[in-house]
Amino acid sequence: MATTALHPAVPAYRSGLYEWITTTDHKKIGILYVVNSLLFFFLAGLLALGVRAELAQPKIQFFAPDVYNQLFTMHGTVMIFLFIIPILAGFANYVVPLQIGAPDMAFPRINALSFWMLPLGGILMFTGFFTGGAAAEGWTGYSPLAQRAYSGTGTDLWAVGLILIGTSSILGAVNFLTTIFKMRAPGLTMFRLPILVWTVLVTSVLVLMATPVFTSALIMLFIDRNYGGHFFDPATGGNAILWQNVFWFYSHPAVYVMVLPAMGMVSEILPVFSRKPLFGYKAFVFATAGIGALGFSVWAHHMFTTGSVFLPFFSLMTFLIAVPTGVKMFNWVATLFRGQLIFSTPMLFALGFLTMFLIGGINGAFSAAVPVDFALHDTYWVVAHLHYVLFGGSVFGMFAGLYYWFPKMTGRLLDETLGKIHFVLMFVGFNLTFFPMHMLGLMGMPRRVADYSAAAGWSELNLLATIGGFTIATSMLPFLWNVMISLRNGEPAGDDPWEANTLEWATSSPPPPYNFDHLPEIRSERPLFDLRHGRAGNHA
Amino acid sequence: MFRTTPTRLARVLALAGVAAAVTGCSVIDSFYPPKAATAQGHDIRNLYDIVFLIAAAIFFVVEGLIVYAVIRYRRHPTDTELPPQIHGNNLIEIIWTIIPTVIVAYLFVISWQTLNTVEATSPNPQVHVVAIARRFDWSFQYLGPDGQSLIRGPDGKAVSLPGTMVVPAGQTVHLSLHSPDVIHAFYVPQFLFKRDVVPGKENTFDFMVDATDAGQTFRGQCAELCGIGHQGMSFEVQAKTPTEFDAWLQQQITQAKATPAPAASGAPSPSGSPGASSVTASGPPSAQVTLDLTAKNVAFDKDSLEAPANQPFDIKFTNADQATQHNVDIHKDSPTGAVVFDGEVITGPDSRLYAVNPLPAGKYSFVCKVHPTTMIGTLTVR
Repeated sequence: MATTALHPAVPAYRSGLYEWITTTDHKKIGILYVVNSLLFFFLAGLLALGVRAELAQPKIQFFAPDVYNQLFTMHGTVMIFLFIIPILAGFANYVVPLQIGAPDMAFPRINALSFWMLPLGGILMFTGFFTGGAAAEGWTGYSPLAQRAYSGTGTDLWAVGLILIGTSSILGAVNFLTTIFKMRAPGLTMFRLPILVWTVLVTSVLVLMATPVFTSALIMLFIDRNYGGHFFDPATGGNAILWQNVFWFYSHPAVYVMVLPAMGMVSEILPVFSRKPLFGYKAFVFATAGIGALGFSVWAHHMFTTGSVFLPFFSLMTFLIAVPTGVKMFNWVATLFRGQLIFSTPMLFALGFLTMFLIGGINGAFSAAVPVDFALHDTYWVVAHLHYVLFGGSVFGMFAGLYYWFPKMTGRLLDETLGKIHFVLMFVGFNLTFFPMHMLGLMGMPRRVADYSAAAGWSELNLLATIGGFTIATSMLPFLWNVMISLRNGEPAGDDPWEANTLEWATSSPPPPYNFDHLPEIRSERPLFDLRHGRAGNHA
Repeated sequence: MFRTTPTRLARVLALAGVAAAVTGCSVIDSFYPPKAATAQGHDIRNLYDIVFLIAAAIFFVVEGLIVYAVIRYRRHPTDTELPPQIHGNNLIEIIWTIIPTVIVAYLFVISWQTLNTVEATSPNPQVHVVAIARRFDWSFQYLGPDGQSLIRGPDGKAVSLPGTMVVPAGQTVHLSLHSPDVIHAFYVPQFLFKRDVVPGKENTFDFMVDATDAGQTFRGQCAELCGIGHQGMSFEVQAKTPTEFDAWLQQQITQAKATPAPAASGAPSPSGSPGASSVTASGPPSAQVTLDLTAKNVAFDKDSLEAPANQPFDIKFTNADQATQHNVDIHKDSPTGAVVFDGEVITGPDSRLYAVNPLPAGKYSFVCKVHPTTMIGTLTVR
């Protein structure tokens, strides 16, 4: 059955709160994910502004260490678990069924359940601020600092919130895998899947294998804290390093959970705005799978200074993971070459991803060289590195995706001028904030400090980083304004405003419930390109 | 138009290059760690230099290709035909898989070699030091000439230097790290090195400060988040010539045997000597004046106090820091002057009423002996 004839009985988007709360439509759930994640993004961004405000000058001005430690702990936790991971899951929720020509996710009700656990987990975590202090051990929650003797109820709320969010991820992963394996349209073989779908597939495998480990570690921590367990506290015969092993066994693959779908989005966007196919499609698939597989053997590179890991093995695996990542980078650059580049806002953010993620990859190699990591570990160098990966990579990729699929989600285009202002402000602010942190780390500024000596010589660079942080915050204003005015008065998008390649652009914007009236024939990874140009361009 | 743009770019880049040359070496220096002060640090620095060179080369090549593509291949209004639809090239894929593999294999080998020299331990190091990292301070103890037993005072307590480690330059020091509470990390930026201090586990390493650095002092601090006092948990490493060091160590040993209290050296003993002085730390309030003092976030809430001369007074001391030890000591003149009052160390949240015996008029300092470098204030008695 190559075509489906479905006539929507109800309008695509009924308004009404009840509909949004009870919906099992993957598109609405996807939008709920995106909106919910953006709300937590702004909250966690405010926490980061608090951190930057405090660090702008030596001495304590705004937040004493008890509050400051909560700020960066919650900033990290919320950005990772309530913004980056769920917003990418949100895009995947919206786009994957459309890209594979499916009417919905395989388990629509489980899909709704996965979403609704997220705000619940987030609210629980934030409740900590009103119960004597939120978690304050850093997002890594190292024991014994996270034990009852050193931290309050906020840590229990943090753990329970994360258990909920983890469960949501696991359910989502099962749903994605089933959908991708069982619900592809006729003709859509595995090697014709859009790269985004491939990255979601590999991501889901990572989540399925790694998240249960973390969830059980959190339960053990909860038992330690509340029922006299002895898992992670040496004072009672536990092992402090055990927490780090199980934590990073999840949290390193989690970095790829946060980066792979963003890579997938960029791999969709670059070809469309270069008017060329993605260079090296199969190499991309293999590199994605390679990153996923190697991603499970590098966790202890976060623990080089503990004196408890076999250093050469984890050093070698960490260096090796640069190879598939490098292959991807070269393929993206080759996609640009000899193309006809169109600099619409999604393309600008995708190029921002390329240029910034490159830095995040290169400065990561420093820490793979174990002795160099002895110098750089737990300094601001690491803060710079992780933000070049997660902000320069994931967040730029996420905004590329947002500008790219917003017309599909709403039927209206975002304003290009405001979009470009947003991009420029964010790009400049991002580099002002995070580039100086390399230098601060080399000079020896440790991370997670509320204060530093004026004599240390770190003041100017910290002030620069703070100015950058507030520039990033400012860049959100044109973005929000853009969303508000475009939702009402934006230019109608039509089915396919970008001359794109994949199936989601074959249906209306926004698509009707169950997505497709009619599917085009699928004979390559670019069915819509084939529809526009025949098979003319597909062999060169 | 396409032809001129790269030229223009080249001109801009040349200008930027000149500008960079003018702002000079300080910018380039900021991409490097501080000058290493140990033999191990020099090895790490050499490795860093190689990694940095390769990283910079890759950065400029790839970033340059992206910028070139963005300028060269922008869509022109006359572009109506599709560009060539190139799907890939297996030979190129193989080449750019092999090249990074070779580069990372090389980086792995040289970093493994450096690791072996940095991690190497001497069978007979000249000095053994034991570092104890406790929320939120450092103390350093020394093993005697036998390399086995701690140097102890007559009360059986190990002689302990708060916040300062003294080491001989040009000699191998074996450091072992202990934590009684949470994870800390020993980090000296100029050693280009850190190692975690893990409770329930002893981490050790060797280092040798350059002989030319005798007389230098290096700043170090805790690099693993350990709670609200983490940012102030700093220490110093003082390098002396071996002769000076031996004299210094001998002095520590004789002092420990001769002196009943460590006050003479200006070094408060580690915690656990409550009420060591003749002053009672509790009892009915017999004084007219009560001063309030609170410790919160590893800081006193006041930086100056006033008390009447020649009559007893009380200090109502509140420790508001969960699971953290504080006390109040009063020193004559400076914070390192003679101890005239030694209050009981309490673990927060808790409070004590300290009864202080009459003091002659003058200038005093009040200090938390658990945090002698950060928790300091002045007491004026008149």
